Amino acid sequence: MMYFAVFWMIPFGLAVYYSFTSYDLFTPPHWVGGANYSLLFTRDPEFLHSLAITSLFVVVTVVPTTVLAVALAAPISQGGKLYGLYRALLVIPAVMPLVASSVIWIVIYSPGGMANAILGLLGLPPVAWLTGTSSAYWGLVIMTVWKYLGFYFLIILAGMQAIPRSLYHAAALDGAGALRTFLRITLPLTRRTLAFVVVIGVIAAAQSFVPAYILTAGGPANATELLPLYLYKTAFSFTDMGLAAAVSVIMTVVLFAVALVQYRVIQGGTRHAAP
Amino acid sequence: MPRHDRRPGLRLLGYVGLGAVCALMLLPFLYMLSIASGTGNQTGLLPGRFALLGNIHTVVTSAGFGRFLLNSVIMSGGIAVLDVLISGCAGYALGTLQFPGKRVLFGAVIAILGVSPIVVVIPVYVMLRDVGWLNSYQGLIVPLMCSAFGVFLVRQFALGIPGSVIQAARLDGASELRILAKVAVPFLRPALLTLLLLDFLAQWDNLIWPLVVASQSSLWTVAVGLSSFQGEHGIVYNLMAAAGLVSMIPPFLLFLLLQRNYVRGVTFGGIDR
Repeated sequence: MMYFAVFWMIPFGLAVYYSFTSYDLFTPPHWVGGANYSLLFTRDPEFLHSLAITSLFVVVTVVPTTVLAVALAAPISQGGKLYGLYRALLVIPAVMPLVASSVIWIVIYSPGGMANAILGLLGLPPVAWLTGTSSAYWGLVIMTVWKYLGFYFLIILAGMQAIPRSLYHAAALDGAGALRTFLRITLPLTRRTLAFVVVIGVIAAAQSFVPAYILTAGGPANATELLPLYLYKTAFSFTDMGLAAAVSVIMTVVLFAVALVQYRVIQGGTRHAAP
Repeated sequence: MPRHDRRPGLRLLGYVGLGAVCALMLLPFLYMLSIASGTGNQTGLLPGRFALLGNIHTVVTSAGFGRFLLNSVIMSGGIAVLDVLISGCAGYALGTLQFPGKRVLFGAVIAILGVSPIVVVIPVYVMLRDVGWLNSYQGLIVPLMCSAFGVFLVRQFALGIPGSVIQAARLDGASELRILAKVAVPFLRPALLTLLLLDFLAQWDNLIWPLVVASQSSLWTVAVGLSSFQGEHGIVYNLMAAAGLVSMIPPFLLFLLLQRNYVRGVTFGGIDR
């Protein structure tokens, strides 16, 4: 407990304190009140840009990943041929270390790399993946979906497998088709699991640092400078600890609020789903 | 979903779709193997010649990569083992023992679970600088060696230890330490192994912390080494991919050993209805 105090609670308090100071690591922090916060929201377009692209990033990675994971888990949730192989294939990217994965995506997105080779097979023109502002951003999104799909899949699969089989037998006896069974049984009974996946997905996506750092270093023209990277640069490239601390406090407050809202949704969900 | 669908065409389409997704998921890894086997900056789907072992040899013997691997093993292994010990004891205590202030302590653990690690990076960095721990193994390990997640995970498992078993052991005159070793550890084994594996995998990928703490390259981990490949002497794709492959081996071996625990850890919290 002492440990948590030293490495979590006191630092958290200090982060809040630093966020009200101007601190460059070399001279002691001095109090500037809410100046960091007002600077961020009124005179720092880079922060607002980063906040906007991070919010979008969370939505465009979490939503498709969840939908895909449900679509992939539903057909095999009751077992089937090649079940083990299928599961292993889907989970491989999730188990591959993220840093090593990011390194290979640099090559995939290189001008003559695999991404453009696949586009070529489909008869599409090549894309300047890491050097165009929007293509670099969407490149990161695609890589992130690829990386996290396995996690989502495993959790959702486990949730679906916890549904009593008797319900499926009853549905089959009633002559319900696959789609109807899915909509009436599988989906409602995995609501809690889905909410859980979305909560941890949002929190993980909002804190995504490695791919942006390795693939694009935030570029081109800050197009992929997600908040954690912005925070890192502010703190350790520009040694503006006060401003960076303010960013971290804002992130924490927002994420905490998101988690709280989602927790409420889960609670509500269980009450409705209770048989 | 019931498997007696009456539309075989649709089912076939489904299988093809699932197969395609699986193939897409696997492609980057196969591509990595191919690039790591090729020469220079070649990016074709198949390597012109097979030089995988040579490339791996070049990587492992050059530019401090062996050192990075060692540092990663020390950091990830150290954190994982210490977290299992510390969070294991704390979780066991919170789950089974009665003591004053227990509720407050557990509340604190839950609250910390909600604090994102990125907030504490700056203050902990300043603290480490003030005690002179930057560029040291203790700087890399100590701030991360106990996790709220670990305490929470072990505590949830410890709740399942029947109180009567502990009572009986106590009546037999067993010391608390003996109870911990003979009753708690066997019971909590799955949770502790899960924690060990998840910690190791997570820390292997921890980039921001070694980046912040270790400015000297003698303390760089594999994560930092790989991320700096871009800056140094342009990028040489085949060596970069080979280095990436080598960096996957230790976590992969541990994963193979403790596979079952992985699924348990990832799905923990998602399915208790």
